[in-house]
Amino acid sequence: MVWAALSPEQRQQLPPPAAGKVDFTKDIQPILQISCAQCHGRGKDKGGFKIDTREDFLRGGDSGPAARPGDSAGSLVIEMVSGLDPDNIMPKKGKRLTPQQVGLLRAWIDQGMEWPKEITFARQPLHNLHPRRVEPPPPTPRSGAHPVDRWLEDYYAKHGVAPVAVAPDRVWARRVYLDVLGVLPTPEELEAFVADRRSDKRVRLVQRLLQDNHRYAEHWLSFWNDLLRNDYKGTGYIDGGRKQITAWLYSALVTNMPYDRMVRQLLNPPPEAEGFLKGIVWRGAVNSSQTPAMQAAQNVSQVFMGVNLKCASCHDSFINDYTLAGTYALANVFSEEPLEIFECDKPTGRKAGYAFLYPELGTLTPSTNRQERLREVAALMTSERNGRLPRTLVNRLWARFFGRGLVEPVDDMDAPAWHPELLDWLAEDFVAHGYDIKHLMTTIMTSRAYQRPAVAGAEAPEAHYVFRGPLVRRLTAEQFRDVLGEITGVGYTSPQPTVDWLLPEPSELQTQRLQQVTVLQWTNTLETATNRWMSWFVREWVLASPPAEAQAVLAANVEWKLYINGKAVGDTRPAATPVVVDLAPHLRGGLNVLAMRVGKKPEKPPVETNRSVAAWVRLKTEGTVWALDTKREWKLVHAGTNDWGSLPAVEEWQMLSTHATSSEARWLNERQFAAAVHSLERWGRYRAAWVAADSLAVALNRPNREQVCTGRPSQATTLQALELANGKALSALLRQGAEELKARFPHAPETLIRTVYRHALGRAPTAGEWAVIREYFKENKGREGIEDFLWSIAMLPEFQMIY
Amino acid sequence: MWSSLIQTSRRDFLKTTSAAVLGALAAGFPRRLDGGDTPKIEPAADRLIILWMAGGMAHTETFDPKRYTPFEKGIKPADVLSTFPSIPTAVDGIRFSAGLENMAKVMDRGTLIRSYTAGDLGFILHSRHQYQWHTGYAPPQTVAAPHLGAVIARTLGPLNPALPAFINIGQRFDVGEGEELKAFTTAGFLGSEYGPFNIPFPEQAARAIQPPEGMTPGRFQNRERFYRRLLARNPVMQHGSEYQRESLLRAVDNAHRLLQSPAAKAFDLSLEPESSLRQYTGGITDLSKISEAKQTRDGTYEKSTVGRFGLGCLLARRLAEAGARFIEVTTEYIPFLNWDTHENGHEKLVHMKQAIDAPIARLILDLEERGLLDRTLVVLASEFSRDSLVEGKPEKKVKDQVDVPDTINDIKHYGMHRHFTDAGCVLLWGGGVKKGYLHGLTAEERPCKTLRDRVVIEDLHATIYYLMGISPQLAYEVEKRPFYVTRDGLGQPIQAIMAKPVRAA
Repeated sequence: MVWAALSPEQRQQLPPPAAGKVDFTKDIQPILQISCAQCHGRGKDKGGFKIDTREDFLRGGDSGPAARPGDSAGSLVIEMVSGLDPDNIMPKKGKRLTPQQVGLLRAWIDQGMEWPKEITFARQPLHNLHPRRVEPPPPTPRSGAHPVDRWLEDYYAKHGVAPVAVAPDRVWARRVYLDVLGVLPTPEELEAFVADRRSDKRVRLVQRLLQDNHRYAEHWLSFWNDLLRNDYKGTGYIDGGRKQITAWLYSALVTNMPYDRMVRQLLNPPPEAEGFLKGIVWRGAVNSSQTPAMQAAQNVSQVFMGVNLKCASCHDSFINDYTLAGTYALANVFSEEPLEIFECDKPTGRKAGYAFLYPELGTLTPSTNRQERLREVAALMTSERNGRLPRTLVNRLWARFFGRGLVEPVDDMDAPAWHPELLDWLAEDFVAHGYDIKHLMTTIMTSRAYQRPAVAGAEAPEAHYVFRGPLVRRLTAEQFRDVLGEITGVGYTSPQPTVDWLLPEPSELQTQRLQQVTVLQWTNTLETATNRWMSWFVREWVLASPPAEAQAVLAANVEWKLYINGKAVGDTRPAATPVVVDLAPHLRGGLNVLAMRVGKKPEKPPVETNRSVAAWVRLKTEGTVWALDTKREWKLVHAGTNDWGSLPAVEEWQMLSTHATSSEARWLNERQFAAAVHSLERWGRYRAAWVAADSLAVALNRPNREQVCTGRPSQATTLQALELANGKALSALLRQGAEELKARFPHAPETLIRTVYRHALGRAPTAGEWAVIREYFKENKGREGIEDFLWSIAMLPEFQMIY
Repeated sequence: MWSSLIQTSRRDFLKTTSAAVLGALAAGFPRRLDGGDTPKIEPAADRLIILWMAGGMAHTETFDPKRYTPFEKGIKPADVLSTFPSIPTAVDGIRFSAGLENMAKVMDRGTLIRSYTAGDLGFILHSRHQYQWHTGYAPPQTVAAPHLGAVIARTLGPLNPALPAFINIGQRFDVGEGEELKAFTTAGFLGSEYGPFNIPFPEQAARAIQPPEGMTPGRFQNRERFYRRLLARNPVMQHGSEYQRESLLRAVDNAHRLLQSPAAKAFDLSLEPESSLRQYTGGITDLSKISEAKQTRDGTYEKSTVGRFGLGCLLARRLAEAGARFIEVTTEYIPFLNWDTHENGHEKLVHMKQAIDAPIARLILDLEERGLLDRTLVVLASEFSRDSLVEGKPEKKVKDQVDVPDTINDIKHYGMHRHFTDAGCVLLWGGGVKKGYLHGLTAEERPCKTLRDRVVIEDLHATIYYLMGISPQLAYEVEKRPFYVTRDGLGQPIQAIMAKPVRAA
């Protein structure tokens, strides 16, 4: 036994014990956590010394017992942390303890070393890893038959959560429409639901909404874009260092692809899904923790397994038990060549092998073939042994619907749930039903728990959360935009990506649209001697007045640029991809000229070339919608200039009549083109998920998807409020919306008001509200009055919150 | 229906919050990690203005002139160090490049650093280098790193509570490389409450705090009144209290307060006396003439940008007077325009120096005249410098991005066109820096690299933070780990340029 070896003089220099009673949790635990646990806790025991429990602490290590209760000056730990003995200073790593901290430790020791039994610094067992079959308790009259409610019955009893009537129809319907489809029920839909007398109408509504495949996909696109870091513009695209997975994602959502198949396709990707693993390839040198393979390891662990490997990408993690070597072993799976391990960005000369994050779930064959490795890791991730995969998604969806996960934070899935059996049961049920995401949603949303009235949340994460129902939540940026769009009839006029919007449609309609695709083709030799390497495909037409709406789907076989009435519209577009363009801002009454400038300056004279375009234009004037396609009246001229203004005289232009069938035009993805045409014919307007972020979306917390985003902050900020008060985006929307509403209700302002209320808030105005509104509209008529009325509705907490 | 709309654990009835302080969030997440034992730093400055010379400002053509070689057909790029002669300044021993006569007169109000060196990041990219300059970290990071302004907004809060703590002037978001630019103009993980209040066009700044375009102030007030009345009658509001709703109303109140406050007048440049306005705009007094700039390469853009930066400086002065905490004014990075001279370096620098010279000097003098300069720190900087031959650093060259001919026969090849990271100029005036002081030395002959007193970004940030009263070792907790305001907490304030000694932290 070696006791403290400080001399009496040195003991005099010790910081005095702190005054007052010491609280272990508040005063001592943080010190031990930050300064000692890294080497003496969480499975480590440097010098044979563990601080897992009070007994371990007292027992000490190779140097003897660490402390003598009641005698801090004579305790080894105090000697070492005081720094007075230069041969024995603790901690070895990190900041030395301050005199105040030493004083707290002294007081704690002198006061008998109180240590609540439940606090431990031992390595935490991993929760939520292995699958676990559990049976819910039998139904009771209060719980009803639903397994989720049966699980919660005991919990409610234990935590004093009183039974409560379910949320009323109007409130609940609004909630469920927003949660499933991201839109509000129309007044007619809502009244029909309220009037429905069937006892199972809520179940039926959930099922019916989930079958609206297109709108479901449009809404959930944003959730998955955040999670899978998918965006339409942004870092990495400029030089091919990033790839979208939008088309794949839309298809997966519209067809309700089972989740395990989605995961396998993301981990062992077909070309349209490889963007996720690819990550962002940054130009220039990046920190070794951010190479694409390391990004892949971090993103795969976070997204599918709910754990954070970012800390363990530079060094062994301080906040959990993941190691640097472990992260590299996972990254190697995705890397072409095994990576050299860099610690804090410095090379170590070592390499890790190949390993999955949790060896207990399975091992990987050390294969030099990346394809094989991806296949293996995809199989391992989705194997029935991996109980973490389903739980992670269950938890994310629970957090979406209830405002807070069963495990919180949602990226800390190693931590226990506040109801482990409920989480386990939901996960097993999910797996048993083939990883059917809509089934999982149905299960959650048909429970009484989901029907409980919304709960007022707390501003800060609370230490002692008790579940009482869904928290009051807030409309997302996309929902805010979309619901206002639905109420007013205003939406976006062109989407950023093009996807297969035909997929949810019946096959007759698909065929019909494919037949609407026609292609104009021209083949000849271009003479570079005369420098005429650009081909301009031109269409003219006369309009009586500027159209209310005008959009086009355009594509060409080489890169091209759009000109309308002599002005360039947008950037140069890549070859082959159909693009939906909003023409309306550029058209006018009278003659309009649309031109596609196709081609680029060749390096050397071409022998033969062909130029080909596919174009389809939709115009809405005076209430009539009509289409222009590539069938007639297009002209062609060649010129060696990028400049519209210097084109040869019109007399030189030739009428073009060489049409190709779309199948002859092998460059065109006619399915994609037809899908874009369909989206215009069917809807003409696009929801917020389809466009790149604008200032309003950013203000409302749509994230920059350079990092994975598993949850958006929902709290209002002053900058948001400023943007809402006078930002251009919202003003334009409201102005246009007011015009649309005015056109719909030209002589019936009270009907307008009632309709807006019933759509936006799901109810009629109260007598008090009517009084205020009538008084307001007496003075404020016309479009402006409606605009400001709409704004006020949009700013009501009742509108912005999801109750 | 309403009484059962939400469940609360207490029977609270809502009181409409009206006395909330702008930007003050009680919870303060992410958590601030103070040493606890860190001694409080006495700030030397209450306001910070960053004058951002985006695009790579050539040091030998601005504040660190070298031997002048006039243009002549047949000269070699290797012989050209400066394309302008030098001029004296108010400080003996410091000379500037011709074209900066006004700024030369106020050199005695501040410090010039000539030895700022930037990272190379493997390949010189404006987006990444601007990100690194503004956040202190090279991208990519595993979390969204906050802009210097956001850190200050979060740590110090606003000065005048009626003004957003972080104001960003002159930066448009639909130019350049798209999202890459926006990646650093963000509060990152600190949360959007601390994000920038953006004013891309200073001449239209008044609009930012006015009713939406087309709405008269009368109508705006009317709308607000109607909204409040409707809110008061709203049945949901009568039942229970709930933090989401309260934070929305508080935000709306704060926004409304900003829009109504006298401080909002600071945004309105038309209120500035013409004689003063003229000094910032090179004589143009009709603001509508400084139109929305169109991105072209024929010089018309630069001409309208000229006025725009000057107006940005004026706006910054007015906002500083009104009590804004952090303001950045950028000349704006547009690929191949402004300071990003890939060709025609000499001619473009004539414009650029014209754009900045009078306004910046006037800004400094105006602040001084109003007694604000001592407590306002003004910093001029760029993401890296330029040279006619070296890309990167002499000992550590990176991939060339610009073709440089062996001889110069056309004026378009006359200038500093490559990206040079081994030297760079930073100017600091006011708040706690030495007056008339020169820090760092660069070589007189090519390569004109740093010879002494190298300054790196974390130390520059540490200096700025320290002068604002913030510890360079301050960290915020994100995803359970500390994120330091200077890179990994390593920043050390540069003692030599500070008027008062740094107290050991």
